[in-house]
Amino acid sequence: METDALITNESEELDAIINKYPGEKRYIMAIMHDLSRHFNYLPRPALEATARHAGVPFSQVYSMATFYKAFSLVPRGKVHFKVCDGTTCHIKGSQIIIDEIYSRLNIKPGETTADLQFSLETVNCIGACALAPALLANGKVHPRLNAAGVRQVIAEYGGPEYGKKE
Amino acid sequence: MGKKSKKKQVLVCCGTGCIANGGLDVYQAFKNNLGELFELASSDDIKATGCHGLCSSGPFVRILPDDITYCQVKASDVEEIIEKSIKNNELIKRLLYRDPQSKKRVQNLEKVAFNSMQLKKALRNVGLINPESLQDYLDRQGYQALRKALKMKPEAVVKEIIDAGLRGRGGGGFPTGLKWKACQATTSTPKYIVCNGDEGDPGAFMDESIMEGDPHTILEGMLICAYTVGASKGFIYVRDEYAGSVTALTKAISDARKNDFLGEDILGSGLNFDIEIVRGGGAFVCGEETALLASIEGNVGEPWDKYVFPTEKGLWGQPTVINNVETWSNVPLILLEGAKKFASTGTAGSKGTKVFSLVGKVVNTGLVEVPMGTSLRDIIFTIGGGVPGKRKFKAVQTGGPSGGCIPESLLDLKVDFDSLNEAGSMMGSGGMIVMDDRTCMVEVARYYLQFLAGESCGKCVPCREGIRSMLEILERICNGQGCLEDLDLLEDIGESVRTAALCALGRTAPNPVLSTIKYFRDEYLEHIVDHRCPAGVCKELSEFYIDAELCNGCGLCSRNCPVDAIQGEKKQPHVIDNSKCIKCGECINECQFLAVKVR
Amino acid sequence: MKILIDGIEIEAQFGETILEVARRTGIHIPTLCYHEAFGGQGSCRFCMVEVTKNGSSRIVASCTYPVNDGIEVKTSTPQIDKIRRNIAMLLYKRAPNSLFMQTLYKEHLCTENNLVEDPHEKCILCRLCVNACATMGASAISTVMRGTDKRVATPYDDASAVCIGCAACAEVCPTGCIEVQEDNNIRRIWNQDFTLVACEECGKNFATREQLAYIMDKSKQDAPATELRFCENCRRKVLARKLETFNG
Repeated sequence: METDALITNESEELDAIINKYPGEKRYIMAIMHDLSRHFNYLPRPALEATARHAGVPFSQVYSMATFYKAFSLVPRGKVHFKVCDGTTCHIKGSQIIIDEIYSRLNIKPGETTADLQFSLETVNCIGACALAPALLANGKVHPRLNAAGVRQVIAEYGGPEYGKKE
Repeated sequence: MGKKSKKKQVLVCCGTGCIANGGLDVYQAFKNNLGELFELASSDDIKATGCHGLCSSGPFVRILPDDITYCQVKASDVEEIIEKSIKNNELIKRLLYRDPQSKKRVQNLEKVAFNSMQLKKALRNVGLINPESLQDYLDRQGYQALRKALKMKPEAVVKEIIDAGLRGRGGGGFPTGLKWKACQATTSTPKYIVCNGDEGDPGAFMDESIMEGDPHTILEGMLICAYTVGASKGFIYVRDEYAGSVTALTKAISDARKNDFLGEDILGSGLNFDIEIVRGGGAFVCGEETALLASIEGNVGEPWDKYVFPTEKGLWGQPTVINNVETWSNVPLILLEGAKKFASTGTAGSKGTKVFSLVGKVVNTGLVEVPMGTSLRDIIFTIGGGVPGKRKFKAVQTGGPSGGCIPESLLDLKVDFDSLNEAGSMMGSGGMIVMDDRTCMVEVARYYLQFLAGESCGKCVPCREGIRSMLEILERICNGQGCLEDLDLLEDIGESVRTAALCALGRTAPNPVLSTIKYFRDEYLEHIVDHRCPAGVCKELSEFYIDAELCNGCGLCSRNCPVDAIQGEKKQPHVIDNSKCIKCGECINECQFLAVKVR
Repeated sequence: MKILIDGIEIEAQFGETILEVARRTGIHIPTLCYHEAFGGQGSCRFCMVEVTKNGSSRIVASCTYPVNDGIEVKTSTPQIDKIRRNIAMLLYKRAPNSLFMQTLYKEHLCTENNLVEDPHEKCILCRLCVNACATMGASAISTVMRGTDKRVATPYDDASAVCIGCAACAEVCPTGCIEVQEDNNIRRIWNQDFTLVACEECGKNFATREQLAYIMDKSKQDAPATELRFCENCRRKVLARKLETFNG
């Protein structure tokens, strides 16, 4: 895939990340965490290099990358929203947050806006149940949101053009 | 110490909940003003602590020795706190906690109903110490239990744990001491110690609060076990989402290594033991111990049949003791206070205390630790303050996604491992989610099944296909397309999944379905026969209207309606335009007068 | 040690599973994900049996349960039959397009219900293909995703760089859901074409070029040995002829 090709300095960065860990199977997940933080997703060449480094078949690394929800195989947006859909948030209205993000940004969980500005996923529980329903925006918790609150958060991260009603 | 104790100390809660509410800003504001304060001489006197428990009212600032607790503090309040309460011993009334029952402002949070029935054992240090300070831990008897254990025979340590009656806090409730004994009896080396910190139950955060609020206690528990069974290496598997826990544990491990609590020849005892942190990948199933072990080994987190226990064949096929965070935090306590004292709390089959995360439709949400055997009613109504607003209690869900929903008629149930199982639910790791009449029990079952459909590892047929089918049926019922035969089919599939699935996740997956059918069958029937969702949650089956008698025209609903479907003059009854309404339920949630109703 | 299966006393060895003991004794326990070559996976749960020891009973997967002294096994009880019936029903609903599942569905007297069927699906996710690929090939396929989305695939569903086209996966598949097309000396499998190699004796295609290269690489051979030039049938004939020349 062409979009997945890494440019030269990226492939050097890739090596640097992978070589921090011994070439053993048990470090695959730690490597993937670091790669994910660096690239904002797991590019295919990075997974292939991880498999070579750990000495396991590529299919096994791919199997792991698709099994664990911490990882994404497609680029995430600059602003990554995680809507908590843990039980508490769910019964306190996480669906309202998801619906509002969809109506403003036209993205559903697992999707990214075309300009790569925003992406959305749901997560199970962020451990902030007392503040439900909650939304994580690039790691920051926005507690007790309703639809209006969601609009505010979107405006905060994307400028006014994202905050307005169409 | 005597002189120092008169000095003021400020504890700022920086648990995950309070950080979300700006706790770190408050802490920073205190730090920034440190220079002007002669009362607080060093940075040690301002502590960023773990969770204070009552997360719904955070961030907290607790001032000692006066024991004043301020709630919902903002960074902008800090100057006033310093000026009045630290320099001049004045109280700031508006920042004090308002007890929802007595409606009075309370200075000492320990005395409110929320805390009065609690017994802090596993959480004994959480909220009182700076988790990044080894000295704080040492000041509270830290590593004394390890020193004591190292002087005992390993068999005597195991006996102490068995006599204490400690059972695994992660869900299964297996006797911890027997686990250790089995591992002790194996001869194969190396042996491993694992801490299960993959707390995945949505609605539960007690393990998180211990990991980020009192990390050394986990290390100490693991060390004691390592000495007892002869293990040389430990792993703490931390849930991916818990960044704060990773930070706290990393610091604790590094400090422990520098101070002879980890490494070679620990405290001159000859014990060699080190601990490594493994970050989870975001998979609920990894809370299942064999899946967790598979994950540490660098595989997908699929469980295996536990006909041979991990204590015999665990990590890389070697003997392994795996316990959950809360279990580990109880271990040093047992050695410190003795098995007899520990076992004096609790019920016949379940000793000690249990931490619950009390959340959902309840006034006081947060972490509560109570003796085993405390009734659900006491936890939800006395400690939790009951259901907020004028809503009615409907059910409490315990045990996470694979637990069950317990109805009002069973509120006097004394909570322990066995009583919850009998009620068709389970202890799980201690999630306790209160639901009111705005919660649809069919939709709750659907929600859990949807959760499990995505979180099942997908290895075994009963779990993967059984959940898929049960979810399909529940979705149909929620959409108004259910039939009466569906209930029989749900029960039939559910029973097979319960007996045939490979791991605990699968075997308990039908619980939310079976328990809601058992206790809330009427609600299912209303969906199927009357095509009506009484809670107003299932969109296909709900229609909202405003009761003109109850509506006083405050306009809160129309301001919050995302689609402008509510119209009305000021101080006049409002009306919902059902052609526009998307049934999000925002109006019901906002209305203080219960005027918005479900047809 | 001695164990009882369906009332028959059998001598069993430490380390054996119930299923292994039953099989060698000729006692039938139905399985879906089991294959002698790979051992028990414990994933289909079709082989569940009731084990009683010291008066207490439990339902276990016979393919992973290691025998221990004095156990009493029942391979069929109403409870177990119900589990098998439900597994057959659930898997049929998943993969109604497979003749194998259609037969099993009838055999287990499953009753009709209104669960949705995917008319195109044949795979029951027994994972025998994944095991076969790991053993005979180079792990070109694996399970991907999890939960109800789990399936078997090559990475990114692309042609795999390591697939040798040996078709061991298709051979072991009980439901025939892995497509293999052969046409003009070309085999198409997993979205990839492989050139077939003909037996030097009978002229029939018997392996792919990539497969032979893989075997050569693994066994560190330079020139094609006998086994790499002839199909299995002819290999025997050729060897027999060789023996004749020796004797003659």
